[in-house]
Amino acid sequence: MFNTSYFVQVIPKVFMKIPVTLEIAVISTFFALLIGVIIAVIAYYRIPVLYPLTRGIVSFTRGTPLVAQLYFLYFGVAIYSTLVRDMTPTMAVCLVLSINVGAFMSESIRGALMSVDDGQKEAALSLGMSGFQIITRIVLPQAVRVALPPLFNDFITLIKSSSLAFMLGVADIMGAARMEGSMSYRYFEVYAVVMIAYWILITGFGLVRVRLEKHCAEAF
Amino acid sequence: MSEELVKVEHLYKEFDEGNVILKDISFTVKKNEAVAIIGPSGTGKSTLLRCLNYLTVPTKGIVSMGEVSVDAEHHTKKEVLELRKNSSMVFQQFNLFKNKTAIENVMEAMLTVLHMNRKEAYEKAEGLLKKVGMLDRKDFYPSKLSGGQQQRVAIARAMSVNPDVMLFDEPTSALDPEWVKEVLETIKALAKEGVTMILVTHEIPFAREVASRVLFMDEGRIAADGTPEEIIDHPEDPRLRQFLSFMER
Repeated sequence: MFNTSYFVQVIPKVFMKIPVTLEIAVISTFFALLIGVIIAVIAYYRIPVLYPLTRGIVSFTRGTPLVAQLYFLYFGVAIYSTLVRDMTPTMAVCLVLSINVGAFMSESIRGALMSVDDGQKEAALSLGMSGFQIITRIVLPQAVRVALPPLFNDFITLIKSSSLAFMLGVADIMGAARMEGSMSYRYFEVYAVVMIAYWILITGFGLVRVRLEKHCAEAF
Repeated sequence: MSEELVKVEHLYKEFDEGNVILKDISFTVKKNEAVAIIGPSGTGKSTLLRCLNYLTVPTKGIVSMGEVSVDAEHHTKKEVLELRKNSSMVFQQFNLFKNKTAIENVMEAMLTVLHMNRKEAYEKAEGLLKKVGMLDRKDFYPSKLSGGQQQRVAIARAMSVNPDVMLFDEPTSALDPEWVKEVLETIKALAKEGVTMILVTHEIPFAREVASRVLFMDEGRIAADGTPEEIIDHPEDPRLRQFLSFMER
């Protein structure tokens, strides 16, 4: 039978780990964005050597499961790298999520950069503006507007994916729930709380996304 | 000689192997001249205009504007940037910066290329927008302007860098008929003021009225060069006659 008092009792235990999940999500999003922008700019300008290299990395990252990447780094690469061996589980999770989501974000950013028509760039060139001025003052402000909604979707995906951190022993929402469940064996109540916690988080950010999309659509 | 603002010498443009769009183009444009380039579609008129400011890099030949001279076979980035500072272009599709209002579009090159301070640029931009009859729409984004209004802002933007020469690439081709007149009137006013311009157009009556000289291009060459009376009223070249009679239909 569903134990209501236990369910209520578990809520704060799980919810107090929301900051850990958010910490992983925010740190990973920051680095994923950085990676995404670098890869997108390389693709946009088709920089020799780097372009095929980043294409390969993106293809490999997008074509393999996140769990496999996580295990490959934390248990595989760690055998040969002291740097990885010395990483805390949270750092390893953030690193893998940054690369994985960065690969997806790079496609959104590349698409947004490409969405700015060549005519505007030609007009800027004909006025004597430099390449740097064109990218910073004309292309990027417009690309950001196009890229923000899909990037926000990537951020939401990242929050959900961060639940894999428990596999490396990180005490996030899922980690706390697993520990609680292994003690009480009341997995139904425990994971129901987990589902609610993620649902509240994702719905909250979903509302922000809707407002953001509206703002972007009305920007200019 | 000193009056010559633009000098084009033996200009060639080949896109793919054997696809030669411009063939040995040479001409000069004097200060205060308004030169119209007419001719059938696909004869290289727009390519020629784009080669003048290196938006399309010519294969061979020399383009000189003011003190700057650029040889297609040995050009540097710096030379191209200098060349572009002497001219500005008005495009068929307006190409306004979509993230900037009308006045910000006009101010942009003043701030970034001429390094003017914001207040000075704003005042000058207001003056230019007033000149093209767009001051009351200065805070509108391009998406809120009609085609004709966008093109008038584009003309003000092109004037903002004090160009020696203004290049117009079919400025009314993408406009609905109702907006054509206002843009043509704006260009006509500039020509009357003595702004040096090279204008690619299909509007033959307009070319007749505004231009002090008309070039007829055919198959990548300048087939006829003369006054509007010589080229439009009394054409000698049979291909030109054929083109003009086709345009009259």
